Amino acid sequence: MADIEYVVQMKGITKVYPNGIAANQGVDFNVKKGEIHALMGENGAGKSTLMKMLFGLEQPTEGDIIVNGEKVNLTSPTVAISKGIGMVHQHFMLVPSLTVAENIVLGMEPKNKGFIDYKKAVEITEEYSKKYNLIVDPSAKVRDIPVGMKQKVEILKALVRGAKILILDEPTAVLTTQETAELFRELINLKNQGHTVIFISHKLDEIKQITDRLTIMRGGKSMGVYNTADISKEEISRLMVGRDVVLTVEKDKAQPTDVVLKVRNLDYTNGWGKKMLNNLSFDVRKGEILGIAGVEGNGQRELVDMLFNLNVPDSGTATVNGQNILGVAQRKIRDMGVSLIPEDRMTFGIAGRGTIEDNLMSDRCGKKRYNNGPLFNTKNMHEDSDQLIKDYAVLCKSRNQQVGMLSGGNIQKVVVAREFSSNPGLIIADQPTRGIDVGATEFIRKKLVELSREGAAVLLVSADLNEVMELSDSLIVMVNGKIAAYFEDTSVLNDTIMGEYMLGIKQQSEEEIRRVQHGE
Amino acid sequence: MLNQLMNMIFTTSFGYAIIRITSPILFAALAAVVAEKAGVTNIGLEGTMMFSSLFGVLFAYWTNNWLVGVLAAMVVGILIALVMGIFALKLKTNIILAGTAINIAGSGGTIFLLYLFTGLRGNTANLTTPQMLTPKINIPIIKDIPVIGAIFSGHSILTYVSFILVIVVWILLYKTALGLRIRAVGENTNAADSVGVSVLKTQYIALMISGALSGIGGAYMSMYYSQSWNTGIVAGRGFIALAARAMGQGEPVGAMLASLLFGFASALGNKMEGLQGFSSYLVGAIPYAVTIIGLSIYAVTQLKKSRKKS
Amino acid sequence: MENKHMMAFEFIRGFVAIFIAILVAFIFIFISADDPGKALNCLLIKPIISNGALNIKSIMTILGRTTPIIFTGLAVCVMFSADQFNLGAEGVTMLGGFIGALIGIYVPMAAGIHSVVAVLIAAVVGGLVMIVPALAKVKLKASEMVISLMMNYVILYLVLHFLNNVFADRSKGATQTFPFEATAKIGTVVQGTELTYGFFIALIATVIVAIFMYRTRWGYAIRMIGINEAFSKYSGIKVGAIIVASQIIGGVLAGAGGAIEVLGRDISFRWLDLPGYGWTGVTVAILAKNNPIMVPLAALFIAYLNRGCELMSIYAGVPAEMLDIIQAVIFLFFAAEQFLAKYRQKLVVKDAKEEISMKGEKA
Repeated sequence: MADIEYVVQMKGITKVYPNGIAANQGVDFNVKKGEIHALMGENGAGKSTLMKMLFGLEQPTEGDIIVNGEKVNLTSPTVAISKGIGMVHQHFMLVPSLTVAENIVLGMEPKNKGFIDYKKAVEITEEYSKKYNLIVDPSAKVRDIPVGMKQKVEILKALVRGAKILILDEPTAVLTTQETAELFRELINLKNQGHTVIFISHKLDEIKQITDRLTIMRGGKSMGVYNTADISKEEISRLMVGRDVVLTVEKDKAQPTDVVLKVRNLDYTNGWGKKMLNNLSFDVRKGEILGIAGVEGNGQRELVDMLFNLNVPDSGTATVNGQNILGVAQRKIRDMGVSLIPEDRMTFGIAGRGTIEDNLMSDRCGKKRYNNGPLFNTKNMHEDSDQLIKDYAVLCKSRNQQVGMLSGGNIQKVVVAREFSSNPGLIIADQPTRGIDVGATEFIRKKLVELSREGAAVLLVSADLNEVMELSDSLIVMVNGKIAAYFEDTSVLNDTIMGEYMLGIKQQSEEEIRRVQHGE
Repeated sequence: MLNQLMNMIFTTSFGYAIIRITSPILFAALAAVVAEKAGVTNIGLEGTMMFSSLFGVLFAYWTNNWLVGVLAAMVVGILIALVMGIFALKLKTNIILAGTAINIAGSGGTIFLLYLFTGLRGNTANLTTPQMLTPKINIPIIKDIPVIGAIFSGHSILTYVSFILVIVVWILLYKTALGLRIRAVGENTNAADSVGVSVLKTQYIALMISGALSGIGGAYMSMYYSQSWNTGIVAGRGFIALAARAMGQGEPVGAMLASLLFGFASALGNKMEGLQGFSSYLVGAIPYAVTIIGLSIYAVTQLKKSRKKS
Repeated sequence: MENKHMMAFEFIRGFVAIFIAILVAFIFIFISADDPGKALNCLLIKPIISNGALNIKSIMTILGRTTPIIFTGLAVCVMFSADQFNLGAEGVTMLGGFIGALIGIYVPMAAGIHSVVAVLIAAVVGGLVMIVPALAKVKLKASEMVISLMMNYVILYLVLHFLNNVFADRSKGATQTFPFEATAKIGTVVQGTELTYGFFIALIATVIVAIFMYRTRWGYAIRMIGINEAFSKYSGIKVGAIIVASQIIGGVLAGAGGAIEVLGRDISFRWLDLPGYGWTGVTVAILAKNNPIMVPLAALFIAYLNRGCELMSIYAGVPAEMLDIIQAVIFLFFAAEQFLAKYRQKLVVKDAKEEISMKGEKA
């Protein structure tokens, strides 16, 4: 007999993806009717997977989902919607050229003699807009409205379809402070009208401000359910950020010398008007690994994009050995001895239908060693490819195998083999071991340390606490596009301190942070 | 000579010619608009018109009824769109390649099919009877207005249909649920999916509408414009329609204006042919050259717009 | 192509596609031919065997007919490899033929170099023309497909203008230029067949293009851009320049092919419409899966069918244009990624299992 106090009960949920990764392991998740319930956890903790199952986008491998006391089989979002569940995704599912009202009624258009009853659509929009105090302009085109209003449109879309339970996936990540405050007023209003809200977030202040209860996830498991009022920020931080297994990496003490990468006053405001980089300054020196820790979405991706000319900042400078790299063609950046392990390896890291050799040679195929006049020196290419495959232990049939057919770990080994073997003076490693097997992970981390000790400057961006704490010689924490803390020596750090800085409970002084600028 | 040219342009027959030449391109351009709105580039318009123009004439001949011919042309257009749909949407053939295959089939396959069904080789001129041709219509009142009447009255019924279809297609796209779904699917498949709108079904429907529209365009060519079917009957109009769509910013009215521009350039070329010192071939190139220039200008304005935004 | 299962799969898929196309052809033949058996014989066997013996003349003709479509096939291969849907090979072939003819008529040169120069100039002009859609794409983000399609017609009318109004040989009944100088002719290998030395140039071009695509940094860049443009940019490849280059190369090949075809097969220029080789080139490239080395084989297949259909129309009264339907059917099935996908899925699973067992052995 299901407990009717709960609108949603997820019991013993296990989800194993086809690639063997167990994203959820025996998770219990209960939400009471009419509450705002926070689902918290670091990236990769399994919250998205859990919510995808609740919205019918994925099916659990094991476990039951009970909605309003009834066991349900959520095979698609349409089924979930029919059970009164709505989801607002982080990336909006809106059609830019359609008006707000059109987006809201899409798929359930009111009709009058065969034509769309646009007036009715506007009426519906206004009715719900008023009822829930979600103010939107029904006739405005979605592409012209601010991001805060887009989110309201998404919420309205769910409500119009009869959603009583709303899942919001990191709703404040894209919002400005004012927009966030507005959203919270609206959510409390929804709650007062009997709706249930599941709120995914990492921001402690926000959680404290509006949620009734919270569930914390870590490593695919639930760390428990708490009344928000009864748990301290520090306690949340401790439960959420932390390593179940502390992975140690052996390395000698770094002996950093000259500054290689020098970043000063980098500013960037994205297309939606949100400031993603805020006066960012730091140095990376020869022979050290500088880690950038932080919850994802705090400007790390934008920073890396700037450093490899995949985007251009509003202002600021970045130099490698004194030479500007902002807005400079990738060929030239690479010629300066910079290499990048990109976060999105399938888009930037490899050409999937190309062979392993093709992928190993992409940055160097113009080099003398690989050319005899106009022709490739295939002998050297094969030789070096085979050597790299061996050195980096890429498991494959031969260098002629399609890279896209390899496993994730082996694909990343191919990327790393290329980027590490170009004798780089600066390595930017963005989430270098995300989603890959333990063996490959360990291997890549070892190589990274090796290269830094041989004299490369390494900028390591990682949301993986183990990785960033154990590999880095010194470390900065990024929060909201700014440096919240700089630790010259990572050996003094522990999980608790990291959690408090990452989640914005603590913040270093300007002077302490300025220490990361080693140059003038 | 310029004087001569001016005298030719400012005649009612010139205005009449523009409309007559524009109409088939307009059908195909509207077909391109509908398909592209759903995110499907229909490069197979050329081949579709080849088939539909042939079967339009054949069915009209067999029944001695032009209306049956036009309907048959539409049905053939829809069937070909379905074939393209199955290959492009289900079997994931690149849509441009699927369209190219249709064009290849259309270029010679029609000649073969004509022989198969009638034993004729290359054209149907001998089959034509007055009942097979779409009738010309004199519009009451308007036909009696000087100048206007001579330009706008007395066209084939299909000519009027093509211009009325501009409004119909606009209404379809902007005033019906189907149109809303077509636009949603073409712009953001995830958004459509997330509210249970089937992307595949919507794209199939859009392709079929596209097929029907280009089908009538084919019928126009063989059952009015050329009065019979021949191997060179479509002569790149399907491709021009794609260009007209692009130049018309993908909108029905824009596509009509671009088609009219092409019609104007063609009509001008035809007039200039009669003049001393103008090469008929050289002026034949004008509409296509105008299209390239028009497309480039349009691309530049788009580029400037997007730069401003970012 | 290391993976033997996938390679086997591609072969099977190709055969099934061809089988379906031939089946379609059979159906049409049974409907249209008075004597289907004779028609089938004409389509499939007569191109190479007549009266119980190899028909050398016919075989040579088939080989000769591969020449222009090898060139356009290669051109399309290179452009499609860079993911550029440039369909201008059709027009550029015509232009190349016309330019080659003009050089052959009006610029006297010594034997030996005359034809070479004519073909080279045609190639250069072809390359230059393709800069238009290429730059429109790279600089203006305009569709290279639409621009190249329009360009085909501009070229057609320009050529017709110059042919009719400037260079026509008025003494002849049909529209054509004056005959080429003998020095400009590309010789026939065996008199009375359509096989010219152009065929060997086409084979040489195939080897050069194959080497270019797989053994040089530029060809490599073209392939990588075609697979993943973002990756290429990130790797430091000059994406814009290479995209332009790929289309110039396409133009060079199509232009040269046009000149070789005209100077080899004819005595004066007399194309009054787009020759169709550009479109056949697309079919050839699709059959060859954009692999230059497979282009002659694909071209041979099409030329064989072409000859078969021709014989069928002569001896069995089935119009030769049936070829276009067969071509389109093969084309569609070859290009259909999901055709027989379920079968492929099984192979992938089988492969994955093998890989796992291999891992086990290594561990």
